[in-house]
Parts: sequence; C-alpha cells; structure tokens
Amino acid sequence: MSSTILEFQNVSFSRGSRLLLDRLSFSIETQEMVALLGPNGVGKTTMLKLASRLLQPATGSVLLQGKPLANWSRQHLPRCVALVPQELELPFNFRVEEIVAQGRVPYLPLFGAGTTQDEEAIEDAMEAVDIVRLRDRPYSQLSGGERQRVKIAIGLAQQSKLMLLDEPTQHLDVGRQIELIALLRRLNQRGITIIAAVHDLNLVAENFSSVIMLTPEPAWIAGSVPEVMQPEVLARAFCVGQSDLAQYCVSPPAGGRAQA
Amino acid sequence: MTGLQTYREVDGKHGPKLSSVPAGWAEPVGLKQVEVEHESSLKLPEAGLRSQSKQGSKARTNTVNLILLVALLLSIVFSTCLGAVRIPAAEVIHAFLHPSKAGEAGEIIFALRLPRVLAAALVGAALSATGVLFQGLFRNPLADPFVLGTSGGAALGGAIGIFLIPTLSFAGFSATAVLAFAGSVLTMILVWYLARTSGAFAMETLLLAGFAIGTMLNSATVVFELREEASSSGLRVLAAWLHGQLGIPAWSQLGLIAPLTIVAIALALPVAGRLNTLALGEEYASQLGVHVGQVRVATVILGSLLTAAAVSLGGLIGFVGLLVPHFLRILIGPNHVRLLPAAALGGATFLILADTLARTAFAPTEIPVGVFTAFLGGPAFLYLLHRRSRESGL
Repeated sequence: MSSTILEFQNVSFSRGSRLLLDRLSFSIETQEMVALLGPNGVGKTTMLKLASRLLQPATGSVLLQGKPLANWSRQHLPRCVALVPQELELPFNFRVEEIVAQGRVPYLPLFGAGTTQDEEAIEDAMEAVDIVRLRDRPYSQLSGGERQRVKIAIGLAQQSKLMLLDEPTQHLDVGRQIELIALLRRLNQRGITIIAAVHDLNLVAENFSSVIMLTPEPAWIAGSVPEVMQPEVLARAFCVGQSDLAQYCVSPPAGGRAQA
Repeated sequence: MTGLQTYREVDGKHGPKLSSVPAGWAEPVGLKQVEVEHESSLKLPEAGLRSQSKQGSKARTNTVNLILLVALLLSIVFSTCLGAVRIPAAEVIHAFLHPSKAGEAGEIIFALRLPRVLAAALVGAALSATGVLFQGLFRNPLADPFVLGTSGGAALGGAIGIFLIPTLSFAGFSATAVLAFAGSVLTMILVWYLARTSGAFAMETLLLAGFAIGTMLNSATVVFELREEASSSGLRVLAAWLHGQLGIPAWSQLGLIAPLTIVAIALALPVAGRLNTLALGEEYASQLGVHVGQVRVATVILGSLLTAAAVSLGGLIGFVGLLVPHFLRILIGPNHVRLLPAAALGGATFLILADTLARTAFAPTEIPVGVFTAFLGGPAFLYLLHRRSRESGL
C-alpha cells in the first residue's frame, strides 16, 4: 500500500533573472529512498527548501500527502517533513541533547514545557543515530560525522515521515559516509521517506531506489536508479566526458549490474 | 555504460586481494554486527546516565538561582548599610521588617539608600535580561543594549522628552519614558537593517553599526547640554545619564518601573524558549514551525521596554548585559529559558555591588557606576571578541 507523499507539479523557481528550476514535476511514494543529483549550483538546495516551504515556487505547486504546502499549518508541517540542512552553526555552546530537543518545538505549546512523550521522542531520536553517549557534549566538540547525526536526530525528534537531507555526506571521510548512508537506509526501513542530495554516484547506485537529477539547462530527469543513472545522462548533467566519469565510478550503477 | 562496466571488471580482478584484509573489514555485514554489539553493550549504563545528567543540569540551575537570590538579598542589606553614615546590618534588617518603627535610621534607609539600591537592582536586572534577549536574537554573545546603541537611542529619546516636551504624558507615562522606549525601538530597527546582510548578521557590521549609531545618538544628546543653563535640573539629569550614574529615584517612579521590568522579564520567558530554536539559524527555526518574525518583534519590544526602564533610572550603563549573561552561561549553559531569570537575579546583584563600590570607594565623591561597569566590561568584551575571531579563524 504505497501512497504519494511528495509531489511537485510544474514547479518553477528563479533566482534573480536566472531560471533555476523549470517546470519540475515528479511524485515520490511513501518509503522511497530518493537521491537528488546534479552539479553544484543547479538548485538542489532550492528544491529541498521548496519542499519544506522555506521558499515558495514562482509557478506550480508542491503537494505533501496530497495537500498543497500552503494549506499546512505552521505546527503540522514540521511534524510531517524535516529538512536537514547542509550546515548548522551555533552561536552558543548548546549540548547535544538540547539541540535534539529543538525537534520537539512543533509539538510544544507556547507556554509550558515538554511532556514525557517529548522526552521519549528525543531519546528515541538519539538512540536511532547512536549519539546517546554524546548527549552532554557541547556541539563545538563534535566531529563532522557526529554533527550530521545530531542534525538527523533533530529531524527524527520531529517524527516526520519525510526527511530531506542536503548533502549529508559532505566533509565526511569514506567510512563515515558509508556509516551515514547505512543509517539512512535503516531509517528508510523504519518507514521514513528519504530524499538526500548526494554527490557520490557510487553511494547512490548502491543504496537508493530512485533519483531526481537536476541539470544546468535547467532540465530534470526523475526515475529509478537504472533509468536515470545512464552514463550519457550523467556525463551530460555533470558536463564531463563519459570516460572520465567512468574512472570516477568504482562500481557501476545498478543499471549495469542488472545487465551483468 | 561500457566504461562503467570496464571498471567493474577491474574491481573484480582486485577481488582476491581484498580477501587478505582481516575478517570484518571488507564485509559491510561485519560492520553492522560490530555496531549492534556496541549499541547493546552500552544501553544499560546509558539509561542510568540519562536521568543523572538531566536532573544534574536542572538541579545546578536551581542551585545557582538560589545562590543568586540569597546574594541579591544580602547585597541589598549590605548596600543599604554602607554610605556616609554606616548603619549596622541588624538595624537595616529591623527597619525592613518594621518600617514604621525604624526611627532616625529609617529616614536614611527609606528616603536615600533603599530607593537607590532598588534602582540599581532594577537596572541590573533589566540590562542583563535585555542582553540575553538581544544575544539570542542576533545569535551573538557580544550583543548588549549599550554595544548595539539602543541605550543611546533610549537616552536621546528621553532627553528630547525632558527638554522639549516635559509636561506631556501618554496614558500615565511621561513623554520622557515613552520617547526613551521609542528611541530604543527605532535604534534597534536601524541597527537591524544596517547590520543584516544576506539573511544573517555579520559580526563586524553588527558591532560597527551599533557603535556608530550609539555614538551619533550620544552626541545628539550632548547637543542638549548647549541649550541649557548650567544650573538647570534637566542638565544634571542629562549629565548623569551620559555617564551612567544612578540617582535616588522617587518611590512613585520605582513603583512604575519595578512592575514594568518584572512583567517584561516574565513575558520574555516564552520568547526565550523560541530563542533557543533561533540559535539553530532563522531558516532552521522557521522550518521547525517558529514564527521568526513574531519572535523578532516580541524580542525587540520587550528588550526596548527593559532598556528604556534601565536608561530612565541610570542612563548609559554599559556592558552589564554582556558580562552577566556570559558569566552565567559558563555556570548553567546557554539555554535561554534558564539563563533569563538567572541573568535578571545576577544582574541585579552585580549592579547593586558595583554601585555600592561607585558611591563609597572615593567618598564623598561619587563615581558613576557606568564607569565601573565599563572598566570591568570593556576587557570582557575585548576578550570575547578576541576569542571569537580566533575561533572563526580571522
């Protein structure tokens, strides 16, 4: 029983005079694991912000669970969709637990503290990303991988069904990248739909079910991994020769594997 | 496709080599098993650790608040004892408990000392609370009503009230008070738009805008000095404001400002909770359902009310809103909800002690308390600035 969780209908967006997204249309089923691919500056972050209502499309509409984003209330939207941004800089040295607790803000009344339910959600979130032992650490003392986990924990504390991640593997070493993608897969198996902007084609081919690829024209392709991750498509999108691209890929996309 | 496949073949050829790698390294399954073991072995002690740390930080905040409250009461008594005539502490406490039977000492206590001590407490509480609010709003530990220039705006507004429309009043508040508030709000809006670049506040622009506007406003206030005769009472008030000197307020003035300060701090508590979320960034906070615009407006209004209250009692007293929150952040952490009441208590105590020092150290000459706070706060400001620029690699 799969149902559509996120749908873009002819969404266009411009920054200044530059058209960034041109009539982007796709729909994502519940519990899909979607990679967002494309060269730098192509509008991946913009697309994620459009999906979480941080930006409004110039034309077209974004539907979450069949309901236009504009109709979602301020409190209910973050309970359904969580955006995990690329960078999180804190001006003060909050502890990990205090930061994760911010994911409960959509559930809190203006006056009054959190309930046991909120505390449980915070515990579960920290456990799911394995940062319970870091709970009292100040954020400034965390490594890059630990910071990513803290950000994901905020999203989990939101108990949202859809998680949007903006380059979660950025600045991570290979081991931490693999761990992080494994974590995303575990979350995906728990029923959370994942959309992640990722640059590593190998990780995408091995771990994701479908791909949205944004290209600079601007154009886009959306579909399953074997459909989208064709060498000529990738080469065109990233403006690089196919043979150069092949050297970069240690393992072939799932399309290649399916044929082999 | 062909290119990619070639690579896979190469990878396949290297396959046997990988088998020499220790077991559990190459296989992702092995990695997962290690992780699971790791989790389960840690679970029990963590459960214990959880409640401990939670209660620990709350208990710590309560302890700190209790100590601050006791320190505040002690400093009120202590400061009331000291002055040209020294009054024994027992007599002061007796006078507090039985005001009608206080006798001659009661005159000094209730007409001269206590109003000033309470004024210092209110100013300290208001400035420290404003510091916490503005630091949260600008996501910058250096923000303080003096540094941002809003104290200067309040002083200018107040000066306009004193000299140009001294008899006017709105809804029970004198024109001076209303204009001091308006001056603070307008300065805040001005600094806001000058310092905001691409959705965030660059540290340098914020501090420079605050400095420039503050200096301009102070200079404009000085212009009023030229209009007045040297002996006028307005001029004395103005001089005291510019130097940050506490006077002896009338009880009626305290009766107005005390509830205003306390109500503003109480109303700021739910705002402080949202400032914790705002620490993640404005976009992040708004993604989490926080109405950033409302938080901003509420913070500016409450902060300006508190600044106006402080300025109307003590003028330009700098760095209190920077020193006290910074010190308390070291003790109880950066959570604004916990920080706000502690900063109010701590700021009140701090300014009572500083003012006691200011009026007794070189008696009979009084030194403006603003001079003392600048001596203490200036170096603290520079230290924070230095540490921050070192951290950001500048």
